[in-house]
Amino acid sequence: MTPTIELCALEVHLGGRKILHGLEGTAHSRAIGLLGPNGAGKSTLINTLLGFHPPSSGTARVLGLDIRAASSELRSLVGYMPENDAFIARTTGIRFVRYMAEISGLPPGLALERAHEAFVYVGLGEARYRKLGTYSLGMKQLAKLAQAIVHGPRLLILDEPTNGLDPPGRKRLIALIREIRQAGDTHLLLSSHLLHDVEQACDEVLILRDGRIAGIINLEEERKANRRFLEMEVMGSGAGFSAGLGALGCECVTFGASRLKVVLPPGIEIHDVYRLAAQQNVRIRRLNYRRDSLEDIFLNAMGQAGVSNGRL
Amino acid sequence: MAVYKRHYEPYAGPLTKRWSRPLVLTRYAVRELFRSRFFTGFFILSLVPVLGFAGYIFIANNSFLHTLLSLRARSATFPVESQFFAIFLEVQTSLAFLLTCWAAPTLVSGDLTNGALPLFLSRPLNRAEYVAGKFAVLGVLLSFMTWIPALLLLLLETGLGPGRWLIPHLWLIGPILWCSILWIVLLSLIALAASAWVKWRIIAMASIFGVFLIPAGFGQVLNATMRTNWGSLLDISRMFQEILWAGFHSSYQGGEGAIPRPATWAGLAVVCLICLRLLHARLRAFEVVRG
Repeated sequence: MTPTIELCALEVHLGGRKILHGLEGTAHSRAIGLLGPNGAGKSTLINTLLGFHPPSSGTARVLGLDIRAASSELRSLVGYMPENDAFIARTTGIRFVRYMAEISGLPPGLALERAHEAFVYVGLGEARYRKLGTYSLGMKQLAKLAQAIVHGPRLLILDEPTNGLDPPGRKRLIALIREIRQAGDTHLLLSSHLLHDVEQACDEVLILRDGRIAGIINLEEERKANRRFLEMEVMGSGAGFSAGLGALGCECVTFGASRLKVVLPPGIEIHDVYRLAAQQNVRIRRLNYRRDSLEDIFLNAMGQAGVSNGRL
Repeated sequence: MAVYKRHYEPYAGPLTKRWSRPLVLTRYAVRELFRSRFFTGFFILSLVPVLGFAGYIFIANNSFLHTLLSLRARSATFPVESQFFAIFLEVQTSLAFLLTCWAAPTLVSGDLTNGALPLFLSRPLNRAEYVAGKFAVLGVLLSFMTWIPALLLLLLETGLGPGRWLIPHLWLIGPILWCSILWIVLLSLIALAASAWVKWRIIAMASIFGVFLIPAGFGQVLNATMRTNWGSLLDISRMFQEILWAGFHSSYQGGEGAIPRPATWAGLAVVCLICLRLLHARLRAFEVVRG
């Protein structure tokens, strides 16, 4: 099966700085989430895949097409919803989406038909003859989605699609994205800060930190693994306790001095944790069992990346 | 994705040819311009001089009118020679300049103001094609004001004038075409660069005027103080007019002392290159923060 995204030592310099540091990895799933803190390189990666930034070295393949050699061909398969405002204020919604469809190669008549369908589909049917400049933030987001799907792309790239939406709007948009993903052969690359959105819409996550890949994780497999998870709040030397847990073979991420998230490996039981706490004179004030959520996976990857980079 | 079904379906229909995509930009922009009554009115008015020049050719070749008005020989009273076409192009290029000042400012800025450019460039359309599509808007409009009517006048004179008029005047097609194209390229690039860098229409219009007037004034001061002609290299319209009149084998009457022809061409080429550089710097799908 052709991987959705294949990164081959991809390196990007912008404004005299190295933004992406030799990214290497493959994501096969239909829906891929792109996660990372601010400045991790998510938008740069998306822009590079779209051909906006030339790679300094290495390359990437999207749906089997090389971003250097087949940039134009690739862009004909892509629908892009950018993070920031992207519209022409003085045109009506329907005209704007039709315009985008025609640039994507649809003949004028079919472009108009698809523009109407896309607008009704995203729930803006009533507002399609209004000028885009008069739309609310949520409506603009939906109009951006309409222009991204109007030409029926094979890969839909969504950069922070739920930005600025109220909770019901967010829920509706995520439902639409899930539906699009399930229809036909459409692949999805979703960049978001909202882990819940990514968790709901994606099968696989690519986590970036400081322009490096912190992890490519298949959520389904991760969930199936059903690893044992503890959330703890302690009083005493959290750092020493964390090191002791590490010595027991636990994966451990700390938040501040007192909060820890711990994955128990096979063979280690909870009474071993209590014993260690007693030995180190640490008081456990709160302890919860939890299954892995995307937040845990993300934080874990962030922690590992921190260790691998030589700092926490 | 039928409306009544309200579910998503990928598109599997036919696609237009790749080369025709930039023309979508042209079509939409031209339609947008002609939505303005002022623009439509101005465009129609700018064709009125063509009727005047056509009337002149008609009168020049109407022997009945000549007899009626007891006029001398046709060629002496109403010459239709190279100067006639040079004057026609001078009038029409001035009108083309005014039309560009009105039409061009929103061509690119409209797409940049609210960040629509990444949507264009994320499709199978690169920056050069984007510029070509926008350039074609002015290219088409200004062609209808310059070389197309000039060639029609040439045809009219061929039809109405004395037999074999065309053969000794066939060379006029050359300067008509290349002078018009030079002006269209120059004006379009300056206007597109102004539209890319200036967001507000009025200021963009003023900046297009400014590009022509401010360096010209500075050049005049330079000429006066340094007792030279090289300051005229800052006067874009003068450089063009010198080339225009030279193209029609006449000397430019608008100023003292001619600039060497290669320097004039080089000056205009530099203007075009600066405009292309400005467009290249501005038309990006992203912002790069340096540091």
